[in-house]
Amino acid sequence: MARLIRTEKEVEGRFEDVWLVVEEDPLTQWPAGPLAVVGRDATRQDAPERVRGEARFTADIQLPGMLHTAVLRSPYAHARVRRIDFTKALALPGVRAALGPGEAKGLEEEAGFAGAAVAAVAADTFGKARAALAAVDIEWEELEVVLDPEEAVEREMFTAPSARYERGDFERALSEADVVVEGTYRTSVVLHNSMETHQAVCEWVGDTLNVYISTQYIWGVRDAVSKELGISGDKVRVVCEFMGGGFGSKNGPDEYTFVAAELARRTGRPVRCALTRREENTSAGNRNATLQKLTVGAKSDGTIVALGGDFINAIGWSGWSAMTEGPMQMLYACDNVRTVRHGAKINTPPMKAFRAPGFVEGTFGLECLIDELAAKLELDPLELRKRNYADSNDGKPFSSKNLMQCYELAQKHWDRRDEVRARSTDTWKHGVGMASQIWFGGGGPPSYAWIRATSDGRFTVVTAMQDIGTGTRTAMAMIAAEELGVPLDRVDVMLGDSARGPYATLSAGSSTTPSVGPAVRAAAADAKRQILEIAAQRYDVEERVLDIKDGLVVSADGNVSTPLEALLEILGDAQILGKGARGPNPAGMSVLTFGVQVAEVAVDIETGEIRVERVAAAHDVGRIINALGARSQVEGGIIQGIGHTLSEQRLLDPETGRILTTTLDAYRMPTIADVPEIVCEFVDAPDEHLTNLGSKGLGEPPIVPLAAAIANAIRDATGADVHELPISREEMLRALDAAKKKEKRGAPAAV
Amino acid sequence: MELLRPSSLAELDGGLAIHGGTEVVPLLRDGILEADRLVDIRGIVPRGIDGNVIGAGTTLAELEASTAIPDALREACTLAASPQLRNMSSLGGNLLQSTRCWYWRLGYPCRLHRVGEGWGDRCHAREGEHREHAIFANDFCASAHPSDIAAALLALGARIRTTKRELPLEELYRLPDEANRDIVTLDPGELILELELPQVEASTYLKAMDRKRWSFPQVGVAAARRGGEIRIALAGVAPIPWLLGADGLDGATPLPRTAWKIAVAKALVARAAARLQRP
Amino acid sequence: MPEVKLTLNGGEHIVDAPVGISLASLLRERLGFTGTKIACNEGHCGACTVQIDGVPTLSCITLAHSVRGDVTTIEGLRDHPLIDAFVRADAVQCGFCTPGQVVSAAALVAANPEPTVDEIRHQMAGNICRCGTYPRIEEAILHWRD
Repeated sequence: MARLIRTEKEVEGRFEDVWLVVEEDPLTQWPAGPLAVVGRDATRQDAPERVRGEARFTADIQLPGMLHTAVLRSPYAHARVRRIDFTKALALPGVRAALGPGEAKGLEEEAGFAGAAVAAVAADTFGKARAALAAVDIEWEELEVVLDPEEAVEREMFTAPSARYERGDFERALSEADVVVEGTYRTSVVLHNSMETHQAVCEWVGDTLNVYISTQYIWGVRDAVSKELGISGDKVRVVCEFMGGGFGSKNGPDEYTFVAAELARRTGRPVRCALTRREENTSAGNRNATLQKLTVGAKSDGTIVALGGDFINAIGWSGWSAMTEGPMQMLYACDNVRTVRHGAKINTPPMKAFRAPGFVEGTFGLECLIDELAAKLELDPLELRKRNYADSNDGKPFSSKNLMQCYELAQKHWDRRDEVRARSTDTWKHGVGMASQIWFGGGGPPSYAWIRATSDGRFTVVTAMQDIGTGTRTAMAMIAAEELGVPLDRVDVMLGDSARGPYATLSAGSSTTPSVGPAVRAAAADAKRQILEIAAQRYDVEERVLDIKDGLVVSADGNVSTPLEALLEILGDAQILGKGARGPNPAGMSVLTFGVQVAEVAVDIETGEIRVERVAAAHDVGRIINALGARSQVEGGIIQGIGHTLSEQRLLDPETGRILTTTLDAYRMPTIADVPEIVCEFVDAPDEHLTNLGSKGLGEPPIVPLAAAIANAIRDATGADVHELPISREEMLRALDAAKKKEKRGAPAAV
Repeated sequence: MELLRPSSLAELDGGLAIHGGTEVVPLLRDGILEADRLVDIRGIVPRGIDGNVIGAGTTLAELEASTAIPDALREACTLAASPQLRNMSSLGGNLLQSTRCWYWRLGYPCRLHRVGEGWGDRCHAREGEHREHAIFANDFCASAHPSDIAAALLALGARIRTTKRELPLEELYRLPDEANRDIVTLDPGELILELELPQVEASTYLKAMDRKRWSFPQVGVAAARRGGEIRIALAGVAPIPWLLGADGLDGATPLPRTAWKIAVAKALVARAAARLQRP
Repeated sequence: MPEVKLTLNGGEHIVDAPVGISLASLLRERLGFTGTKIACNEGHCGACTVQIDGVPTLSCITLAHSVRGDVTTIEGLRDHPLIDAFVRADAVQCGFCTPGQVVSAAALVAANPEPTVDEIRHQMAGNICRCGTYPRIEEAILHWRD
């Protein structure tokens, strides 16, 4: 039965109180540990088409008569379009239509960053559209440019109100601490650079708009487009069966979608609007830079008594201000915490969610600070973390927390310290560092799934979710197969089409599996119940003695043992339809994910070269659904983290605010040669309070602690404190130099 | 635009030469190069290794796979670019590549770009973002030359033969100045055909990158020993491949954010020299 | 328009196209071979990798009219044992870079059927995967004939 609740909804660490209609979730959880299907290794169901190049991405869609769009973007970091004239552009061959500021959402008269969209042209080919941009007669009025986030804060230029938090009495606790450590940490802008750029193809069929789009949230696109265009949601069909990566940057439609929809309306033809790689690097969102001034006070036994942080999120022209202070508030037991977080509005490209936004940045600062405290107290960093283990989150109990088990799993990797350090030579210094991880990932309602059983004994899960490459399609099939008692290859999943299934949540915030998975299980249970009802009548036995195991309908006494397809054959064209919904999250509890990573690095102290040689990860995300896919997620998160820790650098011209690193030779993401040995373990214990699965999400946790683990390993190896990401050679050499100077003044350093 | 595919030098008649296309095609697309006529010169530029003579049409991948060339050249090819780019790029084209300076690549009106009838009158990198730029000869233009192979060949004392003449490799390059913005001394239409390498006793190439593979050199150091003398050349430190003079790195004139390159270069120069001492 | 004559996956194709069109665009837009992906369109990422006479080549910066050898795309490698090796090793997440990875890997194992980890890392470094499937790709190539 549906019930109305008032509850806290969390997405990517953003909370809001909402009214929610939820359905009960009467199923009890499966026993812990690997089951027949769930918890085992499964290859991806759609891997063959992806590997063979058959998967059709938005980039591959070619509709008859389709036009192509080029977007006119501001060359100025802050300017206003005074006048725009398309006459010459529209006269060029093959040019079909043009839009100016205000004619589609996202085309604005005021451009707040270099790369902001102001106009668009549709033509027969992309080349013709781009050539037409040069013929657009445009007059700009340049406006004041602010690029420095600290200046913006001083001038109170914010994207959102500042967030202030205090528990206990920070000042007093600090004054009573035996040891105080302070540090200023900086993290830089990181670009998502999904391999498939942001893009959409829009086509009007009658009064219905078909939107083919590379997105993490088909239902969200449907809602946003219907709202913007003032048409019913069912008149917007959003399709994304395969998409080439998002990492948080594709959670909603942007200007390219609205531009394509409007140009399609005006021309009566399908229109593609796709960002180029360079636009992807200037205009598609980013992980914002941060500045963190942090303080920790502790007793000489290592008890942390005070934590304080002033955080500036350098948001850019738009975006939201993520909870960079979250780890400081949540990771350790500390009665006195004070944080302030500002979201600076500056004339740089917009912030968009990027894989654990805020927590990646905040964990770098906090976990480096904690290690510096350990060094000062001459305490083992792992021991220090254990001594300050939090048993609740600001008074709220955790639905489950197995961070201590993660620490235990990590112990053997941590114990390699002496062995690793002993490899050091005159120039290459080796060391080990660790960092803990805390993040959300519990998902929440609503999400729905249907399951269709047909007379051939096969099942199809139908839900309007999407698989952005994380393997959720396969995870849903595994959950359904487990509940139904059938082999995995009997279950297909139909997703990626808002017109072809019930609502499902977005693929972000590590929320897809914990949100949609329980609905799929509930749908499977509903379908199974109906099948057993039929079986009871067919075999003339009581329903309660029947079950489905490994594809057979069996009775407890062994008298019935029939292949499921033999039973379902009697369905003919009749179908069994199971329905399932995601139940509520546990009231009054904090649903969080935990983990720890141990990094081994080598630093060439003469050239500043850093080699990450090994990363061991232990994460607690509740029940693991697909063990193989889970390992891939962890590896992927770690590798992406190596990029923002060492080599990825988004640079802008300090005079004009234009982005300089718009190409992938300049913005350097890791290659296969940069990958360390990765060891990955899970606690794999269901969260007994969370849904019928006890599963949390795993998309984001692995990227959270990596940068700090590497920085702490660098300190262990060299004695140098790195306080800035990325740790370029320039930064590494600076830190080594500072450590040398510190040593000269008497403080010990390993260099 | 037309594409010609001459099969002999005699058929050459103007146009923009293109070999592997890894540099020319992107620059044409960006409008930094312009041409109505492209000339695919793969049919006329020698390819392959014959003793100490290397055809300018030899790809970097072919050089990487050769055991018949000096270590410095082979190592430079191994560490250059990506596998696909090494498959496509010719030796001659590599020597003629342009800087990776982001201002230049994005078409800022800098001193190496035409602006109207004249040339740009400032170096944006000097006052702007220059952390990957030059530490030598960076007064007029602070760009850093990205060719690993040019540094290796410079240290090896290579000579080049063009369609017009023979010259030592160092004479292929010139620093840009007010009067002449070119960084190479080739005449219009002049093609590099072959390179000749003198015998060396030992050589090596060391490269600092921020990824383990597929990066342009932050600093590349080539060293070759010949008749007991060591010759050192650097990539990524000056607007042209840089032959290290008698005063070594002390002559560097770093910009505020390029000083770190001196430490890297010093270490690599010492290591390269040490490697050549080994029997 | 000048004609492009292409030997592609064993078949002959003749297309009229303007000089300047890239091989990648020709394959995708004119011939409908969309397995070859364009991710950066300037030779930096490897998603567009095809083989020309067996040699991995960036089709996005190759002029279609300049192609002289036989072109092999992912569509010509669909029966290669690497396909199954990638599936088994979970060497795919979003899958956008994957066809290019397979094309590069197929050339690698053709030249060197038992590559070492170092050789794989050297020869596959031009194919960027933003999802970070690299350890799985390495495993797929190490065990491609299993």
